[in-house]
Amino acid sequence: MQSYLLCVEFIMSEEIKKSTFTVTVDNITLEVPPGTTVLNAARMIGGDVTPPAMCYYSKLQGSGGKCRTCLVEVAAGSTADPRPMPKLVASCRQTVMDGMIVKNITSEKVQDARAGVVEFLLLNHPLDCPICDQAGECHLQDLGYNHGKAGTRYQFARRTFKKEDIGPYIQLHMTRCILCYRCTYVADQITDNRVHGIVDRGDHAAISTYISKAIDNDFSGNMIDVCPVGALTDKTFRFKNRVWFTKPVDAHRNCENPKCCGKATLWLRGNEVFRVTARKDEWGEVKSYDGKTGWICNTCRFDKKQTTDWTVEGVTKTSRHSVVGVNKYEVLNKPKETMTKVMNGRDPKLLMNIHEVSEVNPTK
Amino acid sequence: MSKKLLLAKAHVPGIRTYEVYRHEGGYTSVEKALKMTTDEVVEEVKKSGLRGRGGAGFPTGMKWSFIAKPEGVPRHLVVNADESEPGTFKDRYLMEFIPHLLIEGMIVSSYALGSNVSYIYIRGEYAWITNILEQAIDEAKANGWLGKNIQGSGFDCEIYVQRGGGAYICGEETALIESLEGKRGNPRIKPPFPAVKGVWERPTVVNNVESIAAVVPIINEGGEEYAKIGIGRSTGTKLISACGNINKPGIYEIDMTISVEEFIYSDEYCGGIANGKKLKACIPGGSSVPILPANLLLTTAKGEKRLMNYESLSDGGFATGSMMGSGGFIVLDEDQCIVRNTYTLARFYRHESCGQCSPCREGTGWMEKILQKIETGKGEMSDIDLLWDIQRKIEGNTICPLGDAAAWPVAAAIRHFRDEFEWHVNNPTLCLTENYGLRHYADKIHVPV
Repeated sequence: MQSYLLCVEFIMSEEIKKSTFTVTVDNITLEVPPGTTVLNAARMIGGDVTPPAMCYYSKLQGSGGKCRTCLVEVAAGSTADPRPMPKLVASCRQTVMDGMIVKNITSEKVQDARAGVVEFLLLNHPLDCPICDQAGECHLQDLGYNHGKAGTRYQFARRTFKKEDIGPYIQLHMTRCILCYRCTYVADQITDNRVHGIVDRGDHAAISTYISKAIDNDFSGNMIDVCPVGALTDKTFRFKNRVWFTKPVDAHRNCENPKCCGKATLWLRGNEVFRVTARKDEWGEVKSYDGKTGWICNTCRFDKKQTTDWTVEGVTKTSRHSVVGVNKYEVLNKPKETMTKVMNGRDPKLLMNIHEVSEVNPTK
Repeated sequence: MSKKLLLAKAHVPGIRTYEVYRHEGGYTSVEKALKMTTDEVVEEVKKSGLRGRGGAGFPTGMKWSFIAKPEGVPRHLVVNADESEPGTFKDRYLMEFIPHLLIEGMIVSSYALGSNVSYIYIRGEYAWITNILEQAIDEAKANGWLGKNIQGSGFDCEIYVQRGGGAYICGEETALIESLEGKRGNPRIKPPFPAVKGVWERPTVVNNVESIAAVVPIINEGGEEYAKIGIGRSTGTKLISACGNINKPGIYEIDMTISVEEFIYSDEYCGGIANGKKLKACIPGGSSVPILPANLLLTTAKGEKRLMNYESLSDGGFATGSMMGSGGFIVLDEDQCIVRNTYTLARFYRHESCGQCSPCREGTGWMEKILQKIETGKGEMSDIDLLWDIQRKIEGNTICPLGDAAAWPVAAAIRHFRDEFEWHVNNPTLCLTENYGLRHYADKIHVPV
């Protein structure tokens, strides 16, 4: 055992000397710096091979490992020790080793486990999307859509909680919460005084201030931005509009608060600012500017609801997968014409060309 | 009559006090260990082949040798006395009646690990034992076995007792460390392991009470002598807390060579099934290990006699075997309902899940509800397959072993007693009053509206 340990130490020191590690995710090989997590390596590839993450937030230290949606199979631990890992690992917390081979969508085990986790997450979720302000930008909606099943096998009453008022700006819907702990990390790391946390345990664990305190910190609004579901929503935006009816624009202002980033996204309908949020990247996380995370203060978020308060930079570019971005695609990808190819180079012979008879859109 | 090492002096009147304990040869292992180097003590424990008595059975000596030793960073020994597993009560007996044995073992272990401050994390429900331990620590300190410069060796050691708040999850080592630090008892995500970053980010070894107590005879008699007791990789003696439908429930120290049959039926140990009934099933290692039907318990799938040790009990994997676990031996006779038993266990795990990771948080509650449904005669055949699917999706997908511990009893019950579940579904009214076994009267249970 001693020699084994020495061997491990030797390998570790050898590996630390290397400046990049080679990691293979779903048969795509890439070089990443040491210390990168498997999830972040997969995010560098992007697309379908990236595991979904509900609790991990790269800007919050210590987050991740809880929701288990990002489980992946490690088919080979490293070049030095190519044994597969016995269990599925949480890719958000597992750092890569040189020569690691990771299976995500190519592994049936992962697909099966993920379907299970999605079912577990939706088990007690009220599925009140029609009246939820988060609908349209909800990570749980996306997760359920991508990995979930149409029906549920749960036949029992869903759990409910007593309503708790946590202050004038943030609305807490405990029934929607998936206990990702992100908001507690925000309160710990962004604000100077955390007054809320998780009380109780198991399936009756709840976000609470315990002694009915109002959350009134200058940066508490960021909890809304990190919440992956509709558990924490903006009271000033509550029931005002659906996110897909509003148009996001990038804007900035000179905020007096030195910790505030000042760069935000305004959600407009007409000329009215319905909501202000921090700017988010393709993973739904707050963007960083000059190495500083773009958290915004409560003044910018809740009080500056006039376009005159802001310098508008332009329309926010949204992903074409987002419901917000429907018909506002950044790049319009036309589907390829495959008919000729399928018919061995012959053009399809149509009974009638619609353009020849159309009065609306005739051939020129 | 197997050899007794831990409980040899348990019945001496007044053994709880320092004077009697010392008179009976107590604290000699400390005298012996302090003359050895720390590596020699670790080596002695390694030679003994002592396996962790908390449940997983990881070799203690190897665990000790994994502890990181960075310059200038204190190391800690934490004794896990958060004995909350249903069916296990061996540590309680040790601490309540021979507290000095644990203190003695801790001093030797702390010396071996270089821990100057060691902790006993005791479950909150053992409130009176906390007082017993603290009194023992005071006595040991007054006699120079704790504090500065122990017996002139230059080694300093302090022991503190910390009470838990009554959570099963705090028996998991990283949750225990979180709780010891004063935080919410959520298991940490490993790595880093406690041997590298444990209590206050310092290298920490977390050991079970019985493992630490076993260090005393190992040092007294020598590791090789200790390894001669037992069989194969199951060396030394093991405390078994036997309970359930047996004539003589209690704590037994066995040397791991006796057969399960002998343990249940001989008068030296459990003394047979109570009231002349027949054995139906047994949970051999505390509530989280798989339940075994009588035939598989007494003989392995190969037809050999099953012995009370780590290898033999886990022979055949989970398909036909179980685990030694923490030694909580729960015997069920013919009158016991497996569905009800599984429901009780599922209710426990639902209540004790910390709620940190989703499969365990949601899955344990779901399993409990389905089992309650079957138990109250409202079940459907598809529920049994659904239960199987849920446990499969919990097992191995959680942060800590509590998810596995919740899944295994359900899996084993369905694996071995599926006909009983089906009988419950097929006889929805009968199952409320009668039992599948020999159809004896079973208590009517509360049916929620």
